[in-house]
Amino acid sequence: METLPRDIYRALEDIVGPDYITEEPATLDSYAYQLDAETSRGGSKFLPRPLAALLPGSTEDVQAIVRACNRFKLKYKAYSTGWGVQSSTRGEDTIQLDLRRMDHILEIDEKNMYAVVEPYVIASTLQAEAMKHGLNCHIIGAGASHSVLAAATSFMGTGPDAIYMGWSPQTMLALEWVMPNGEIMRTGSLSTSKNWFCGEGPGPSIRGISRGFMGAQGGLGVFTKCAVKLSAWPGPKVMPIEGQIPYYITSLPDNFKSHTIGFPSWKAYADALFKLYDAEIGYILHRQFNMWGDELQAAILKIRTDSSYSLEDIDRLLEKPEIQKQTEEMRISFQVILAGQSMADLNFQERALDEILAETGGWKVAAMEDPLMQKWTMLYLLKLCYKSLNFIYGGCYAGTYSIKGNPDWVTSAVVPVAKQVMGEHQKKGMIADTGCDAMMSSISDIGGGGRTWMEQFSFYDPADKKSIEGALEYLKAAVESSRVRGWPRSYDTDYVEAFGPGRVNRLNNMPYPQRAILQWQRKIKEAIDPNNTGEGSYSTSEDSPK
Amino acid sequence: MALEDYKNMVARCARCSYCKWIPFANVQNWRFAKGCPSVEYNKFQSFAAGGRLAATLSFLEGRSSCTEGFQKIVYSCLMDGMCDVACKVGRYNMEPLEVMRELRYRMVELGQYMPEHAILVDSLRQNDNTMCEPKANRGQWAEGLDVKNVTAEQCDVVFHAGCRYSYDKDLWNVPRTAVSLLKKAGVNIGIMGKDETCCGGRVNDMGFAGELTKYAESTIQAWKSAGVKEVVTSCADCFHSFIRLYPALGSKIKVYHTVEYIEKLIKEGKIKFSKEIPMTVTYHDPCHLGRRGESYIPWNGKEIKMRGQIICYDPPKPRYSGSRGVYEAPRNVLKSIPGVELIEMTRIREYAWCCGAGGGVPEAYPDFSSWVAGERIAEANSTGANMLVTACSRCERNFKDAVEKNHEKIKVMDIVELVQQAI
Amino acid sequence: MSAIEELARIVGNEDLITDPDILTCYSRDESFVKPLKPWAVVKPLNTDEVESIVKWANQTGTPLVPVSSGAPHFRGDSIPSVPGAVIVDLSNLRRIIKIDRRNKMTWIEPGVTWDMLQPELAKQGMRIPMPLIPKKNKSVIASFLEREPMIIPRYHWSLLEPLRCCEVVWGSGEKMWTGEAGDQAGTLEERWSKFLYQVNPNGPYQTDFYRLFSAAQGSMGIITCATVKCEILPQVHKMFVIKATNLSDLIDFSYKILKIRYGHEMFILNGADLAGMLAAKADAIRELKDKLPPWILVLGIAGLERLPEEKVKYQEKEIREIAKQYNLYLEPEIPGVDNQQLLDVISNPSKENYWKFNYKGGSQDIFFITTLNRTPEYVGIMQTVAQRYGYPVQDLGIYVQPLMQGVCCHCEFVIPFDPANQSEVARAQKMIDEASWELMRKEAFFSRPYGNWADMVYRTDMQSTEVLRKIKGIFDPRKVMNPGKLCF
Repeated sequence: METLPRDIYRALEDIVGPDYITEEPATLDSYAYQLDAETSRGGSKFLPRPLAALLPGSTEDVQAIVRACNRFKLKYKAYSTGWGVQSSTRGEDTIQLDLRRMDHILEIDEKNMYAVVEPYVIASTLQAEAMKHGLNCHIIGAGASHSVLAAATSFMGTGPDAIYMGWSPQTMLALEWVMPNGEIMRTGSLSTSKNWFCGEGPGPSIRGISRGFMGAQGGLGVFTKCAVKLSAWPGPKVMPIEGQIPYYITSLPDNFKSHTIGFPSWKAYADALFKLYDAEIGYILHRQFNMWGDELQAAILKIRTDSSYSLEDIDRLLEKPEIQKQTEEMRISFQVILAGQSMADLNFQERALDEILAETGGWKVAAMEDPLMQKWTMLYLLKLCYKSLNFIYGGCYAGTYSIKGNPDWVTSAVVPVAKQVMGEHQKKGMIADTGCDAMMSSISDIGGGGRTWMEQFSFYDPADKKSIEGALEYLKAAVESSRVRGWPRSYDTDYVEAFGPGRVNRLNNMPYPQRAILQWQRKIKEAIDPNNTGEGSYSTSEDSPK
Repeated sequence: MALEDYKNMVARCARCSYCKWIPFANVQNWRFAKGCPSVEYNKFQSFAAGGRLAATLSFLEGRSSCTEGFQKIVYSCLMDGMCDVACKVGRYNMEPLEVMRELRYRMVELGQYMPEHAILVDSLRQNDNTMCEPKANRGQWAEGLDVKNVTAEQCDVVFHAGCRYSYDKDLWNVPRTAVSLLKKAGVNIGIMGKDETCCGGRVNDMGFAGELTKYAESTIQAWKSAGVKEVVTSCADCFHSFIRLYPALGSKIKVYHTVEYIEKLIKEGKIKFSKEIPMTVTYHDPCHLGRRGESYIPWNGKEIKMRGQIICYDPPKPRYSGSRGVYEAPRNVLKSIPGVELIEMTRIREYAWCCGAGGGVPEAYPDFSSWVAGERIAEANSTGANMLVTACSRCERNFKDAVEKNHEKIKVMDIVELVQQAI
Repeated sequence: MSAIEELARIVGNEDLITDPDILTCYSRDESFVKPLKPWAVVKPLNTDEVESIVKWANQTGTPLVPVSSGAPHFRGDSIPSVPGAVIVDLSNLRRIIKIDRRNKMTWIEPGVTWDMLQPELAKQGMRIPMPLIPKKNKSVIASFLEREPMIIPRYHWSLLEPLRCCEVVWGSGEKMWTGEAGDQAGTLEERWSKFLYQVNPNGPYQTDFYRLFSAAQGSMGIITCATVKCEILPQVHKMFVIKATNLSDLIDFSYKILKIRYGHEMFILNGADLAGMLAAKADAIRELKDKLPPWILVLGIAGLERLPEEKVKYQEKEIREIAKQYNLYLEPEIPGVDNQQLLDVISNPSKENYWKFNYKGGSQDIFFITTLNRTPEYVGIMQTVAQRYGYPVQDLGIYVQPLMQGVCCHCEFVIPFDPANQSEVARAQKMIDEASWELMRKEAFFSRPYGNWADMVYRTDMQSTEVLRKIKGIFDPRKVMNPGKLCF
């Protein structure tokens, strides 16, 4: 349908009130406009325009809307902050639910270390409130602006702190879930009480169908509340901020230390990861700054901490001997934040780190030991407040090769291929030449260690048709390079191939090790979304089961 | 530039939502983390800067047109600039505020301006002020002050009252006090009286670029003719116009806000305090004195690409990140007043929450404007301070109205009035 | 071919049991669940046979009851609920397929028990954090499938830890690997040759399949292989106990230690439970119980391979200082408890007679999940109900195990009774039923609803019931897997 029939519009308006529903085209386009949309929409920034946008204010509103969609055979797509193609509608006959009115932190249980949040609570505000209680929350790689609930329930959910705090499937506790048929599911301990502390059971854990490695991205009902596990924060109740915008830094007590550590080889890097897992140290372990490209990261760090430089000075900076030295030291490196529960604890962690560096031939990058760089790095990684720097080069980026695996596999198999393919495409000029290692990584993407990954950043200009084409060509080459090698799927596969027209065919034709997964998901969807109101982000196969 | 010239820019928005919040480094709590009043009040995505950029692209591509809803999207913005500051924490090639203003210019060109704004513009055209008051009465605020008129006597410094201070009797004490303080401190100061005109800044923010040009040219000429070297104003709006907009139109005069001048005079020992004011105060950074109060840096360059797709400028473009606004002067002044204890709100300096009076919003959407002020009052109350101090006529008026409407106890005062009490 | 012949063809005659005496052994367990004889027992040797058995069950409509641990069983989940069932005894699938020190993982089959596995892991300097003194022939996989709590809370990243990827034959007969194993192609050996391991349990893709058969009592499918995360064996390991008169005295201290993730093993017992763990005979248990304080917090402090002495030293010092703030004291030993013996006991599975039976010969548990701060309240409820039934309160064992790094805890009441004394049995049964209802009404969360708890829980939570039945309908459409359990 082109527009909502008036009786359906009125029915929806009766639920949310006239102020909270709109069909204004420009507003609908503000929902359709998305980061990276152009790579799957032939250069357009707009995904399909929703029929209407609604702002429900409560679980009851959401339930009523979902029930109405079942009745009127409409699809709905809910989002919290709406960042990324997975947030917007994918096809026809879909209404957009913007959950920003549901923005409360309902509870922080200091003793039992969890918080209960609504969809529009972002990591930044939960973190600030948690810190008052000596606690901290898991922040995913997208940074401070992400919805805590959406990260826990609906997308992936790893980030720099995962090794210490766990990643989203490990931090998610009980959920309140408006299921696709309009019933409200309360999982875990919430099923028989008002308590949020447990997400499993009773019996087989229903949350198993709410998300897996990845969430349903809004395609399987609407999550309206969730509880997340918090972790200790041995720092001040409010992080002190100094400096002028955008050069903010923080000064933390002596029980915090930050380092960037470098290695002579990828083998040494992998060895160090395993040793770090075994040593059980580290509050944040993340390869963040390499995302700007191994050739440019040292220059960018200078630009970001010294107001006398700007982007135009990149090449000039690269001529400086100290920047060249730092570039080499940081080629195979990552960032470490140590947070001691006491000075003795910190000292133990530092000594353990020093031993690991000695054993692997690694080093602490001298330039990053500078007090200013430590303060800047700590603020950056602890608050993840600078993630718009993913776009520092002015356009957009697409992440590739985000395939998770053991460090030996990632460093020996993925890294060389990722570098080679990136290098080939950077030479063509349609994606930024930042050095062929623009890989960001969580040192462990799961709590306690064991697995890592590399997300290779390709920077392109979404306002430049040729650059978009170049980026898409690179994306496809990246996906193909992993497919021909029989690698496990990455979410980039989904991102490149699962958006836009023809998506279902592409899913069916993917040489996917266990395509039965999509068949199972089809059965799950049929069972709990009989009227097919979810708009397609939850992937299913159209094949009949064997 | 025309709106079409921003098409690339609006396609480069990353949809990161930084424009909705204060810079995340500064978030201290849930209650006072939000940055964009427009999206907080109106809720839909199109009311945030990122959403307006999307709406602009939609408009440029012919996907949407000037409906009433579109008009609301465009004009429900206070033009306070928080989005601009937050965006530029990480972005080097985005100018959200510039795009939103350009969009308003286009709306005016198409005749799609707000009728409430038209009233102001008519007043401007007829009486050289936005207050719908007779031009002849402009200088009445200074009666009995014994201050020179710059058109008649030689002065080094001209005090520009601005439209609000000129006609809002409740606020007359502020310009009167400002002029008296400076005069007593030995500054060779004068005013233009009834010959003073609107700075044009406010209506420029509403989309009437022609009015800005007209008033800027005439005011610059008047200053030249008067031979004044410096302009001082207590109105942050006017301050912004003079320091940021006028230089591009030929102004070479040195610009001060009153509070900067007072800070200078305190340092020079020409203002001394003899009384103690036992008061806890909190300070509101006016948008146009703070993040929008950065001085103009001329630039005439073009966009280039380095290393394939890194977007840069040749020559490098000045960054208006909000860092060069006037933040220290008012704080230094407050800290130097005996007995005054300054307690900061959560959102301050370049990331202060707006008072609600900008962008033509009080005229077009008074409930929204009042709500914004109410939010700021709530934040002021959260500090426990007895008094909310500011340095802008619009802020003061909006806060006073909100305090009265909501029956709040907190006092609202301009900084010069507090200074006067302590002398 | 008859159904039984078909079954014999799948597993071989020697692994198909129809002997009535043996069938009787499988018909009952230590719980109060009504005994029911199975029709047969099969003991497959490998995954292929398991797959064939399940397919056969679908064709013939035969209920299957998977069992991987040896007797005794306690929860009623290994007893058929419907007639004509076949027990699928997985004890023949007992390969320890791989132990990998670098990745700290092990690949095992369901018949691998604690007494088989831990010594092998120890050869490579590792172990798996155990539940509290499991029976030695308890299947390791089954322990974690049942979400049994481990005694080292800081390793407890989720309630299913340390279980990672699983190979499952669903009730439909289809087989898959869960977790990141489900995203990989080739045999396990082929994957390992490329450094592709099976570490992350989530997925594949948008479903956490392994959650769907956790705590399912075999009603969704049969796990034929799993990967389990291991931890490093401490090189320096000290045990401490903290005495308290009241359980509430230990709560805030526990929260503090859990928050900063100091220490290693950590749990709370009452004197009766600790006595039951340490002494082997009823008289000795009684005598020890009288000596022990009412409540004991057991805390291990461990240093692993790197700087172990330094770690233990500073943690011990700081924990002592923290304990003092709560008027508590870390004691290396207390009368009746040799801490080295304690460490030995909790680091190994139970000796031959399962330890909970040592006191009176029989025992049943009530357990549920709650938060630490509410445990005293539940202890009060349990004691009140016990008194109501004239059950000697001093015989109740109580075990509190922090879970998920301190977010919640497992609270367990151990109710010993003489199984030969019918009135004791009847009293225990009624007491357990009544206490369970009262506890649930006070928000105790019975996350693993065995036996009568299933009815209690699922009648209260109709929404979960409805969705679980839909899930069951997907993965076991012919309802062959352990019908009659949970809400199925």
